[in-house]
Amino acid sequence: MKRVVEGSEAVAEAVRLARVNVISAYPITPQTHIVEFLSEYCANGTMDARFLRVESEHSALAALIGTATTGVRSFTATSGQGLALMHELLHWTSGARLPIVMAEVNRALAPGWNIWVDQTDSLAQRDTGWIQLYCEDSQEVLDTIIQAYRLGELVDLPVMVVLDAFFLSHTYEPVDVPDQKLVDDYLPSWEPKFQLDTEKPCAFGPLVTPAFYMEMRHAIAGAMEDALEVFPRVEDEFEKIFDRRYGEIEAVSCNDAEIILVTSGTATSTSRLVVENLRAKGEKVGLLKIKLFRPFPVELVRKVLAPAKKVAVIDRNFSFGASGIFAQEIRAALCNTMKHPPVFGYVAGIGGRDVTADVIEDIYRRAKASDFPEGESVWVGLQEN
Amino acid sequence: MEQTMHENEYLYSGHVACSGCGAAIAMRFLLKALGEKTIIVLPACCWSIIAGPYPQSSLKVPVIHSAFEAGGAVASGVRAALDVKGDTETTVVTWAGDGGTFDIGFQALSGAVERNEDFIYVCYDNEAYMNTGIQRSSSTPYGAWTTTTPGIEWKKLRKKNIVEALVAHRIPYAATANIAFPEDLVRKAKKAKEIKGSRFLHIYSSCPTGWRIPSEMSIKIARMAVQTNIFPLYEVEDGVNYTINYKSKEYPVREYFKLQGRFKHLSDKDLEQIQEMVNEDWQRLLKKA
Amino acid sequence: MAKGKEMMGPPSILIPCSYISTESNKTGAWRFLRPRYEEKTSPCSAACPAGEDIGRIEMLATQGLFKEAWETILWENPFPGVCGRVCYHPCERACNRGEFDEAIAIHTIERFLSDTAARNDFKPVLERLPARKEKIAIIGSGPGGLAGAYFLALLGYGCDVFESMPEPGGVLRWGIPSYRLPLSALRNDVSQIESQGVRIYTGRRITRDLLEDMYGTYDGVFVCCGHSASRSLGIPGENLKGVTNGLDFLRRVREGEIPSVEGLSVIIGGGNTAVDVARSVIRFGGKALIAYRRRRQDMPAFEDEVAMLLDEGVELRELVAPITITEESGEYVLTLGSMKVAGEDTDGRARVERDGDTTEEIRVKRVFKAIGEVAAESWFEPPEKGTDIKILNTCVMVNRPDHPAVVFGGDLTAGFKSVVNAVASGKEAAIALDIVFRKGLDSVDEGLADCMVGDGPAHSMEIHMKGERYKRSSHIVPYEEINTDYFSFTQGITQPRLLRDERLTSFEEVDLKISASVAMRESERCFNCGLCNQCDNCYIYCPDMSVVHDSSIQGRHVDYDYCKGCGICVVECPRNAMSLEEED
Repeated sequence: MKRVVEGSEAVAEAVRLARVNVISAYPITPQTHIVEFLSEYCANGTMDARFLRVESEHSALAALIGTATTGVRSFTATSGQGLALMHELLHWTSGARLPIVMAEVNRALAPGWNIWVDQTDSLAQRDTGWIQLYCEDSQEVLDTIIQAYRLGELVDLPVMVVLDAFFLSHTYEPVDVPDQKLVDDYLPSWEPKFQLDTEKPCAFGPLVTPAFYMEMRHAIAGAMEDALEVFPRVEDEFEKIFDRRYGEIEAVSCNDAEIILVTSGTATSTSRLVVENLRAKGEKVGLLKIKLFRPFPVELVRKVLAPAKKVAVIDRNFSFGASGIFAQEIRAALCNTMKHPPVFGYVAGIGGRDVTADVIEDIYRRAKASDFPEGESVWVGLQEN
Repeated sequence: MEQTMHENEYLYSGHVACSGCGAAIAMRFLLKALGEKTIIVLPACCWSIIAGPYPQSSLKVPVIHSAFEAGGAVASGVRAALDVKGDTETTVVTWAGDGGTFDIGFQALSGAVERNEDFIYVCYDNEAYMNTGIQRSSSTPYGAWTTTTPGIEWKKLRKKNIVEALVAHRIPYAATANIAFPEDLVRKAKKAKEIKGSRFLHIYSSCPTGWRIPSEMSIKIARMAVQTNIFPLYEVEDGVNYTINYKSKEYPVREYFKLQGRFKHLSDKDLEQIQEMVNEDWQRLLKKA
Repeated sequence: MAKGKEMMGPPSILIPCSYISTESNKTGAWRFLRPRYEEKTSPCSAACPAGEDIGRIEMLATQGLFKEAWETILWENPFPGVCGRVCYHPCERACNRGEFDEAIAIHTIERFLSDTAARNDFKPVLERLPARKEKIAIIGSGPGGLAGAYFLALLGYGCDVFESMPEPGGVLRWGIPSYRLPLSALRNDVSQIESQGVRIYTGRRITRDLLEDMYGTYDGVFVCCGHSASRSLGIPGENLKGVTNGLDFLRRVREGEIPSVEGLSVIIGGGNTAVDVARSVIRFGGKALIAYRRRRQDMPAFEDEVAMLLDEGVELRELVAPITITEESGEYVLTLGSMKVAGEDTDGRARVERDGDTTEEIRVKRVFKAIGEVAAESWFEPPEKGTDIKILNTCVMVNRPDHPAVVFGGDLTAGFKSVVNAVASGKEAAIALDIVFRKGLDSVDEGLADCMVGDGPAHSMEIHMKGERYKRSSHIVPYEEINTDYFSFTQGITQPRLLRDERLTSFEEVDLKISASVAMRESERCFNCGLCNQCDNCYIYCPDMSVVHDSSIQGRHVDYDYCKGCGICVVECPRNAMSLEEED
């Protein structure tokens, strides 16, 4: 049923439909509406779930490590500082192979205090062993959260579903909220491969010596590789029931494109418009949307980008001393191909600044005008003194 | 009680606790009292090692190791999940050292007991970060040497009164216990098991390695801590009803201090001052009881 | 070890999850000190001339195992009924609990156990060695003779006891008044001894010829006929009609005579006989005065007896010695000379001498001599020297080629005369003879040393016969080795007694019985020094689950595969029944 809902409500609806058993979260702008919706659902019986009103994001995820190890479906949501506080436990979750799903609302990190969109918070967690999926609109958010449980529970890894602060979390859009029955058909109840059980005692997370640790880490690496293979199947099944799919990546007008813009999150929507307009003017421009960031779909990305003359990556994030993080990933993906286009890195929209159509078109023009990247990253839209 | 003490074993031999480890004894007593329907949440502490390196476990009940600071939260989650599964029989226990309780784990503990989560939080207190090699904690008593309070920098701050901090949360049950008083310990653990909501047990667990005492004195020293009123045995119900469980012998604290290498630098004057502190704390407790 | 739940086994994916136990880590390899169960000797046991295993007796009594407790006494002493009444119980003075609060009332509990055995007609089950061909003759059926016969019977020997009096018991039968030792108590013990196969021939006057005959028919002879002749005062008037032997008086009373004791009787002496005579006189309605040359605290009589004596109205005159006795119109004038303390004897008692010429005269109806006894016949005494003589602790052994092994014991050889010392002597004689027959004369010293209780001088039949507790260490547990944290102050019991007025009118037993509950409560106070009483502290406090319950007598063992040697079990043993030693 199509409803006009806020992005946060789309998250909450997906959590409801996924029949999550325990929610544990700590409020932080701009994630607060998610917490409020879910609290309401738990309080009024819309959902049959426990809501743990913990005293910090750290405890929120810690509690879910407890719930998931006990074998029940678990959800949390956070943003910016909250995610940073969770950091240690992000590693713990994947190391323990717990398919917890998190809605992460991208928010800039302090100081100064900034509650607006910026991807550095989630991208800074790229090495924690979580699957990361970046969404473009509220429908995708809802669908992706449901898929995230399917995916995570198949490969025993946690999944972070990432959405932009305000542009998604606080924006109303028409969203198809599917019937529970259809979701139940798609998402079976979780059957954990291990759990705390007084009938069969064992000890989770003990000291692991060098004799064993490396193999366990290798197993996580393997699970990430499996996720690359499992993801399309998860989408296939989803598409069969719901007639929607998103792809690990989405290539728009890339077949004959000489310059391909690479985006993620809501900047993609704006970029679609810009590409359409430029194409109308005869520019050979394409757009590559990255949805699956971890595991990074290297082969798919190569296939799309290798034939282009130039690649222009728009990063709403920054790794100090290096470059925009998506740009790094794209470069890394391409560098081992025999012949590949130069990668132009552009940093835009940091800390919630708008990435307007003009900004995107300016980026395209800059890339087109220059034979070679001016540097690893070009900050776009900086105010002059 | 008799049967509890003399039968039912929930620890395996072959664990790697130091010789004479009070924490091993404390766990043994606790599990004798609680039985096999127990899940242990184990934040980083000496017991992270004692519980056994992969693929070994020294406990016959399920264990979930957790991040150092997360004992209260992980247990909240385990309890919530058991509730979801309709398991009301199993007792969830967080088993933390003084670091995981007094210091790094205090937030999660305070949060959990404020929510009155239905679990038992046990702090086995060996009065310093022993697993990392005897560094001071906020549980380290006044006067003690540790590797981070060496020489003349011996700790000149009081031990945090953790039980009173917990009592301030008005939890249904908080009690002190001591490895030298097994029957009292087992009784309290059993009592705690029957109470709903957050329960806190503070178990004095001597550490021969960190306290610089001979291993065979482990119980003796623990008993003296009670006999001298340094560690009174008492319990508090609903944050207000105090019961003192041991009629004090009021032995001078000197006897306790002089047996331990960690206190060997203390002068007579220091000991007098410590005696006064102990007396004062004891009088305060008496007033509440 | 209680079996735990099966572990889950390895999970289907490789995760940090432990699924096997730690039992493959043999942490015993860390150990450099080794705890072990080692029972030791309690100070009471070492102080008991009979070497009774008192710690164990109290432990069994605590558990209500009265028959077993009584049998434990019988290992070492066939006279619990007698000793529970008339023993001077040095055990209680040695009791470690005395340093803590009050000594255990061992004596009273022994009496309780023997009474309980009699009331329930318990038949003891005792360790015995297989019968041997050697036959032993015992001369005298006093406590020493009967004890010797009893122990020899347990060791497998046929024993014949020869007694000149019409009933067995010696001084127990004829010398101790019934208010201290009722006939029934003696007869219970004697019949128990007889039930072990000891034959007693009464009314057999012992002559030299009889002794010579025995040398021909027996393989060994134990001479233990005691001291039945009174020592002489050596003063003028000693042979007057009204001056008699205290021991004779006591015998006549026990024979059933009701003597006439009107007027004042003076008893000269300070031992138990003097006290017994005086208290008997009082009971027959007479007046009694004890004249003693030293002070009250020097009297060999038992302190309790002296206290009751005074309570009963007997006058005690200290530091006076008899000088003359004269007859004067149907009465006697006793002249007493004053004495004064002039130093200390080796036994700690005052040495006295005349204090100038001061004398006083007392008019009395009769005088009893009670200054000690000597052997009735000089040939009862052991020879004093010779290469064929072996002086033992409480006996003298004579081995001559022309006759079998002869041991002199009991009062004949005693440094300190008492019932329990006589029992000790009988035991030493029995063990010595046993060693002679089994291993030869040369092994006697070593054999006796091997079965000493603690540092001696008491010997233990249980150790000699390798009974259950024979391996206990000879280390005597001092008070400092008791972990007193496990004990709290409790009052001991006081021996209940007849009231003074009740005592004065009859020969009813003065000391009263205690109830089983009182006995159990009192015995529970016992530290059981050096004995395992199954308190299980070693198991409870073991951090390594290395004390394992089993079905052995010990009930548990140390699992050295895992024991790290921390020593907690040893320190927390309340009673030092464990030891910690360095690993090899």
